[in-house]
Amino acid sequence: MPTLTINGRSMSVDAANDTPLLWAIREQLQMTGTKFGCGAGLCGACTVHVNGEAVRSCQTMVGDVAGKKITTIEGLSAKGDHPLQKAWIAEQVPQCGYCQSGQIMQAASLLAKNSNPTKEEVVAHMDGNLCRCMTYSRIQKAIMRAATEMRTASAAGNDRRPT
Amino acid sequence: MNQHVKKITPETTDLSRRSFLVGTAATGLVLGYAGVPGVSEALAAAPANFEPSVWYAISPDGLVTVTCGKADMGQHIASTMAQIVCEELGAKWSDMRVNLASNDPKFNDPVLGAQITGGSWSTMMNFDAMSRAGAAGRMALTEGAAASMGVPAGELAVRDSMIVHAKSKKQMSFADVVKSGKATKTFTPDDLKAIKLKTPDQYSMIGVSVPQIDIPSKTNGTAKYGIDVMIPGMAYGAVVTPPVRYGATVKSVDDSDAKKVPGFIKAVILDDKTQTTTGWVVAVANTFANAKKAAAALKVSYDGGPNAKASSESLLAEAKRLQKLDDSGQFFVKDGDPSAAFGTAAKVLEAEYTTSINIHAPMEPMNATAEFKGDILHIYSGNQFATRSGAIAAGAAGIDPKFVVMHQMWLGGGFGRRLDADMMVPAVQAAKAIGKPVKVIYTRENDMTMDFSRPLTYQKVKAGVDGDGKLVALSHDVVSAWPTQRWGIPDFLSPSVDKKGPLDAFTVNGSDFFYTVPNHTVRAIKNEMAHNATPSGQLRSVAPGWTFWAVESMIDEIAVAAGKDPAQYRISLLDGAGKNEGGAQRLRNTLLAAMGLAGYGTKKLPKGEGMGVACVSSQERATASWTACVAHVAVAPSGEVTVKKLTVATDVGTQVHPDNIRAQVEGAALWGLSLAMYEKATLKDGGIEQTNFDGYTPLRMSQMPEVAVAVIANGEKATGVGEPAVTVVAPAIGNAIFNASGARVRALPITAEAVKGAMKA
Repeated sequence: MPTLTINGRSMSVDAANDTPLLWAIREQLQMTGTKFGCGAGLCGACTVHVNGEAVRSCQTMVGDVAGKKITTIEGLSAKGDHPLQKAWIAEQVPQCGYCQSGQIMQAASLLAKNSNPTKEEVVAHMDGNLCRCMTYSRIQKAIMRAATEMRTASAAGNDRRPT
Repeated sequence: MNQHVKKITPETTDLSRRSFLVGTAATGLVLGYAGVPGVSEALAAAPANFEPSVWYAISPDGLVTVTCGKADMGQHIASTMAQIVCEELGAKWSDMRVNLASNDPKFNDPVLGAQITGGSWSTMMNFDAMSRAGAAGRMALTEGAAASMGVPAGELAVRDSMIVHAKSKKQMSFADVVKSGKATKTFTPDDLKAIKLKTPDQYSMIGVSVPQIDIPSKTNGTAKYGIDVMIPGMAYGAVVTPPVRYGATVKSVDDSDAKKVPGFIKAVILDDKTQTTTGWVVAVANTFANAKKAAAALKVSYDGGPNAKASSESLLAEAKRLQKLDDSGQFFVKDGDPSAAFGTAAKVLEAEYTTSINIHAPMEPMNATAEFKGDILHIYSGNQFATRSGAIAAGAAGIDPKFVVMHQMWLGGGFGRRLDADMMVPAVQAAKAIGKPVKVIYTRENDMTMDFSRPLTYQKVKAGVDGDGKLVALSHDVVSAWPTQRWGIPDFLSPSVDKKGPLDAFTVNGSDFFYTVPNHTVRAIKNEMAHNATPSGQLRSVAPGWTFWAVESMIDEIAVAAGKDPAQYRISLLDGAGKNEGGAQRLRNTLLAAMGLAGYGTKKLPKGEGMGVACVSSQERATASWTACVAHVAVAPSGEVTVKKLTVATDVGTQVHPDNIRAQVEGAALWGLSLAMYEKATLKDGGIEQTNFDGYTPLRMSQMPEVAVAVIANGEKATGVGEPAVTVVAPAIGNAIFNASGARVRALPITAEAVKGAMKA
């Protein structure tokens, strides 16, 4: 029985090693924020982080991620207040909302490395995530808003640092 | 004309036959329309036992929960209903909550008399009912507060969930009044009708972009969709579908390999008396991953049935054959005599327009969870047509529909796909077969190949102009599968003007446009072969998605032939004569707004670039949101098209939520672009060839052009915005391509090859 470290908690799942992580998360652990969209790595709805990298959980097998640090939308922030989540609300991004967990997780992996992305970098990073409601322009705006907030917060943090 | 629309105008609502209840029950203040006689007496006698049958309830803590009878698939209609109630009720927005209705008929649409969500109808058809519900609640609360305070009700003001008596400085919150039990007023139908609703200048909520109630839950993974339903002890089903879209039968199933899959429970061959599915098998297992493995391990042999040879080519050839027959189809429009007018016209143009099969592909694949509990069949599934889907579920179970409870969920995209109920059948029959609840989830491959697709369409348009370039005659034949006829609900069909029996107006809506053309006919021709081989559905914007492709392309061709500017030519046709009075003028103004915003005709564009216009009265003639688009494109010598900008203007009458309207119009316009340029499904050997997002390719972020939206709110009645902008984009792009390159394209989706091929040598 593989043991997974998800959102900071260690949990054993009753699933074969070749079970897609997506289904272990959704069915075994009943965390349903991560969505099934295509089962082929083509849409991004199932995006989670493994050791900080955005991966498609439908293409990631349980046996391959044992011992690695997995983060889902439920664990992105303690109170749903990651700068991206706040920006998603401020820009009123979601329509049906089904792809948005994956969009947010995909975007979070970009901003973790680059809190000042260009529009082109955002598009390149997000292009694998389909939104059938076509909320793309709001997704872009929200990412830029969150990036600004993260930079501001980080600058404020620097100011407070003792010299 | 579309008779169905006449049926659903507010005048025919049965609202007047119901009484409106206000009363305090154990759970709080409840307000709604009573469908059952005697319920108000029951309420008075035993409030604690009263089950709210209602649009909203106010709990003793002051929270107002609106029950939304419309499917919320991302158009935020639940929030919109709450907003309309909130305006008249006088509640504070942060006190508003939403709840999704079950299929209980008491939650039927007050105008449509059923639970169906589509047609961009919801706001238009519920605005009045929700407003009156809100106002009645405010009056009941005010009277209750007046009694408690001992002041005249007329001296009280309501705002932000507070009822205030300015003179005495006394005040009560909604919560206080509910707790007091003094809100007990009952409204007769006449009382309700007599309520004087606010005028637009008094609005404080309508027209304000309040935060959508559902959005926070869609940023943290807590919003529950059908696919997220978990029932204790449930099993999972994966469907095995035949290689033929419709008409196959299962000859044999060998489950010997499936039995080796851990957790495998059973293979269930569907016996679908509703004829929604054909030749399906469900592999049931303890997890979905195992069910999928078992499904892959099942060896199923099929008889392909009568459609096993059908292809996109054969459906198109059949459409062309049918169109050539004089006695095909039925007339949807028959004004004057185009045949005679063509004889005397100075110039006659003819053109054929086609659209491909298109797939809904909402991001949440189809799914349903079925659970038998005692006599009741519970279905958990996000669905746009609970009234019919409940009946299909009942049919699959072999029980009376009244024993089916549909639990509505948030929809991970609808776009018309979830008007259909195929997913009920495997869930119900698998649950019945194993005696446990079963959640059936389609793989993306199931979802795409078994879509109730937008049908392949073929249209032939013939136009005659006189010596001055005036359009004097237009004949328009529309050949397609008939999606709505498939439902088997006579009310959704319309009588033909030549009295040849009912026709499916949802294949021709839009062709009854607002241009003044003295001789104008539209024939609706059913392509029986396509109807059988590719059971079609309603895809976002439905018929106007193809009829305006033909009409708005042809109008452009006519303008060019007449030597006129295509936009100015349209304006001259929108003269508002006769039956077009009113609508034509609004459409003209909308077109002018789009032209103005896009800078149409004001600047010289570089070589290889061009602008094209289109304007539409989508969705239906009687429910139009006047919408116009200017597309700006660049066309490379290779035929490669880059859409640089889409400028869309839409006249929505009254805007409830401006930001949401913009979101919907932009999303719809991008859908229009996606259908125009990127989405194509094909049929071969009776099966859909595209199985996932590699073969069927909706627009991605990198393909998104700049989109500018202008919303015209002129105080007319609120109209819908979920769909109209879909329909205007393809013809605007086609016309822009012609303007840029001289290449006229007449097939959707538009390909570089077609553009290059159409360029003058």
